[in-house]
Amino acid sequence: MKVLKIIPDRCTGCMRCDLACSYEQTGTFQPSKSVIRISSFEGHTSYAPYTCLQCDEAWCLTACPVEAIGISPVGAKVVADDICVGCKLCTIACPYGTMFYDIDTHKAVKCDLCGGKPACVEVCPTEAIVYEDAEQADWVGPFAAERTKAPAGPLAGVS
Amino acid sequence: MTDSIFAYAGQILRVDLSSGKTWTEPFEAEDRRKWIGGTGLGAKILWKEVPPEAGWDHPENRLVMATGPLAGLPVWGTGGLTVVTRGALTNGATNTQANGFFGANLKCCGFDAIVIQGQSPEWVYLHVHSDGVELRDASSLLGKDTWQTQQALEEVTALNGHNLSVYSIGPAGENLVRFAAIQGDYGHVASKNGCGAVMGKKKLKAVAIERGKKGIAAAHPRALYAAADEIAHNLKTDASTRGLYLFGTLGGVRNLYGMGALPIRNYTTNVWPEDVDTKKWEGKNLREGFDHRGHQCSACGMHHCHMLVIGSGRHKGEVVDEPEYEGWSGAGWAIGATEPSEVAWLNDRLDRACVDVNEFGWLCGWVMECQQKGYLSDKDLGFRLEWGDVEGANRLLQMIYRREGLGDLLAEGVKRAAEKLGGEAADCAIYTEIGNTPRGHDHRSRWEEMLDTCTGSGGTLDTAPPVQPTEFGLPARIEPQDPEAVPKQVGVLRGRRTFEDSLGACAFTTRVSMHVLCRSVEAATGWDFRMEEAIRNGRRTAALLRAFNLRCGIGPELEKPSKRYCSTPVNGPVAGVSISDHWEKMLDIWYETVGYDRKTGRPTPETLRSLELEEVIESLWGAEVKT
Repeated sequence: MKVLKIIPDRCTGCMRCDLACSYEQTGTFQPSKSVIRISSFEGHTSYAPYTCLQCDEAWCLTACPVEAIGISPVGAKVVADDICVGCKLCTIACPYGTMFYDIDTHKAVKCDLCGGKPACVEVCPTEAIVYEDAEQADWVGPFAAERTKAPAGPLAGVS
Repeated sequence: MTDSIFAYAGQILRVDLSSGKTWTEPFEAEDRRKWIGGTGLGAKILWKEVPPEAGWDHPENRLVMATGPLAGLPVWGTGGLTVVTRGALTNGATNTQANGFFGANLKCCGFDAIVIQGQSPEWVYLHVHSDGVELRDASSLLGKDTWQTQQALEEVTALNGHNLSVYSIGPAGENLVRFAAIQGDYGHVASKNGCGAVMGKKKLKAVAIERGKKGIAAAHPRALYAAADEIAHNLKTDASTRGLYLFGTLGGVRNLYGMGALPIRNYTTNVWPEDVDTKKWEGKNLREGFDHRGHQCSACGMHHCHMLVIGSGRHKGEVVDEPEYEGWSGAGWAIGATEPSEVAWLNDRLDRACVDVNEFGWLCGWVMECQQKGYLSDKDLGFRLEWGDVEGANRLLQMIYRREGLGDLLAEGVKRAAEKLGGEAADCAIYTEIGNTPRGHDHRSRWEEMLDTCTGSGGTLDTAPPVQPTEFGLPARIEPQDPEAVPKQVGVLRGRRTFEDSLGACAFTTRVSMHVLCRSVEAATGWDFRMEEAIRNGRRTAALLRAFNLRCGIGPELEKPSKRYCSTPVNGPVAGVSISDHWEKMLDIWYETVGYDRKTGRPTPETLRSLELEEVIESLWGAEVKT
C-alpha cells in the first residue's frame, strides 16, 4: 500500500503543505484548518511536518464511541462527518497529536490522504513529504529510529 | 471576509500610537485595483496623509507595513512585507522590503496592511491576532536585539515557528540610528532609509503577528496553482534565475567581481588581495562551507534563505542567518574582510542590532580608509580600525548603536558624517546627494544602478536590474557602461519593480516573465489583468513617490553621486572608465524616457494624466495647468 512519508531533514519550513491542505479542506488558503502542521526546532534551524501516518493501531478508530471513523479505499482513516458527535475522544486517544477538532464545525478532522493524491506531496518543493509504497503502514522512518536508539542528554545510557 | 473579495483581506489596520487607539478601515475595491497593495498602497497613504512639514521624526509621519494580493497564497516567496514611510536618511519617501511570513500571517489575521501614526508616550509593541489587536508594554524588551525580541515574544505568547511572525527593531532603532532597519522572522530585513529609526521614534519596539485563523480566497485557485507552477518552473530552469534558485544570491560575489562590481575596501581597488582563497567565495562553496539548513519564506521553494552554524574561529557553534550577497559585500568586501565565517558572524550582528548592512559597510570602510590615510586619528575614533578587522567593526557597530563617542556622528549615516568631517575625508565617502547610499555593489561598473540609485525616490534604487527586458522592446543585453543604452533601459523598465513591490512577493521570485506574473495576479484576484496595466500601475506609484519627494523639497539638484561614488576605478575590469563625463547626458536621456521634466524633476502633466494622477498635477504644477 502507499503511505505518506515525512522526511524532516528536507523540510525548510515554507508551509506550502499547510496552505495546500487547507485549500483541500476549505477551498480557501486558511492554514488554521490544515491537518498537516509544521513544528520548528532549535531556533528555527530545523522543521518537521507532522500529520496522520495512518497507523495500524488506529487508536482514534478504537476510541470513537459512535464508530464515526472508518478506513477508506486508499487505506486512510477517515471521519464520517454525519456520524461524528464532536466528543474529542479521538484527539485524546491519538498518540501523535494528529487528530484535530474543528471549532467551527464541531467535528473531528484528520488527514484522509486526499483520496489517494495528497495535496501536501504535490506542492512540497523539497520532497520532504512523499507518498510511496511501503511494507507496513506505520512507517516511522530512519529519523525516528535514530532518535530512539541513542538517547542524549539526561537520558543517555538509559534503556 | 466578504465572499466577493479575492486575494485580499479587504481591511487596513490603523494604529494611532499617541492616543493608543486602533481601528480598521476598508481597503476599497477601487483602491485595490489602482494601487494593488505594498508600495502602491503606501505611496497613496504618504501622499495623502504626510504633509511636507511632517519630517521623518514627526508624529504625523506614517509607518506603513503593507502586504499585497499574492501574500499568503501558494506562489513562491509570498510572505512579503513592504515598508513605506518618510525615512530618516533622505527625509523623503522610503520603499523597502523584507520577506519571511509577515504578509501571510497578517492576511490570515484579516488585514492587508498596518498603518501606524503618532508617537507612543511609552515603549510598546503591537500584537495582532485574528480576534483583535493590542498595544502591549514593551519595557521588558528594551535593549534586546531583534532575535532576542522575537524569542522573548515567542515565550510570552507560547507560540513558536511560523505561528508568530515578529518584525522588530534592535538597539540601533531604539537609539534612532538614521540607518536603522526593521528585522523579522530571524534574518529578513527591511533595511533602507532608516525605517527602523521611524519605528524607534514612534517608540514601537515590535509588531508581532500570529498566524491568523482567517482564510484567503483566490478567484481561480487551480489557475493560481498553474501560474505558481509555471513561475517555479521558470525560476528553476531559466539561465538568468537558475543560480538564484540553487544558491540564492551567493553567486553574486564571484559574478560581480568578474565585472568589476564587487566593492572592495571602500572603492579603493577592484582586485582582491592575493592571499584570499577565492575558491571559498564561489556560491556553492560559500554555502557548503557551513553546516546549513533551509529557512524559507512563505510558500517558497527557492534554495535561498538558510540558517548557518559557524564552524570555526572565535564564534564557532553560533547560529546565524546566511548572509545575502549584500551581507557578504557590506560586512565583508567593502571593509576588507575576506574570511566567510567572520563575515557571516558580523552580518548577523548587524541584523540583530538592526542596521542596514550596506550603509554600515560604506561607513565602516570609509572610517578604515580615513584611519589608514590619517584623516581620522586613533584618538578621534578611540581605537585603531584596520581593513578587515571584523571584531573592530563590531566595536564600531556598538559605538554607533549606543551613539557613543564618534559613533554618535556615524549614526547619522555616511553623508552627514562625511560632510561634518569635510576635507579629504569627505572625498572618500560613498553616498548620493539625496542622502542614501548604494546597495553593496561597485556601481562604477554598473552604470544603470548608479543612475537608478541617484534618481530613485524610495531611498534606494527604483528600477533595479533588468528582468526579461525584451518584453519591453529592449535588447536582451547592453553594455553596462554604454551612456546612451543605460539610461534608456533604466527609463523604459521604470515601474516594473515598483509593481512587483506592490504584490506582497519577493523580488527574487518575481524575476520571471511579466505575462506569467500577471497571470498569477489574475488568478488570485479575478481581474482581467495584463502587463500593460501592471506597468502603468508601477509607473503610477513611482511617479507619486517622486511627487512626494518633490513636495518635501527633494529635487533634481540632489540627483548625483558623491565624488568617490562616481570616481574612476584604478584597476580591475573597468579601470580608467569614468561615468562622470556622461552623467548629465545620461540624466537627459532618462528624463526624456520616463516623461519627467528635466529642469524641475516633476513628472510632466501629460505623464501624470496618462497615469491617472490628475490630482497630483495641480499640486506639482499649479491650478492653471490642470485644465
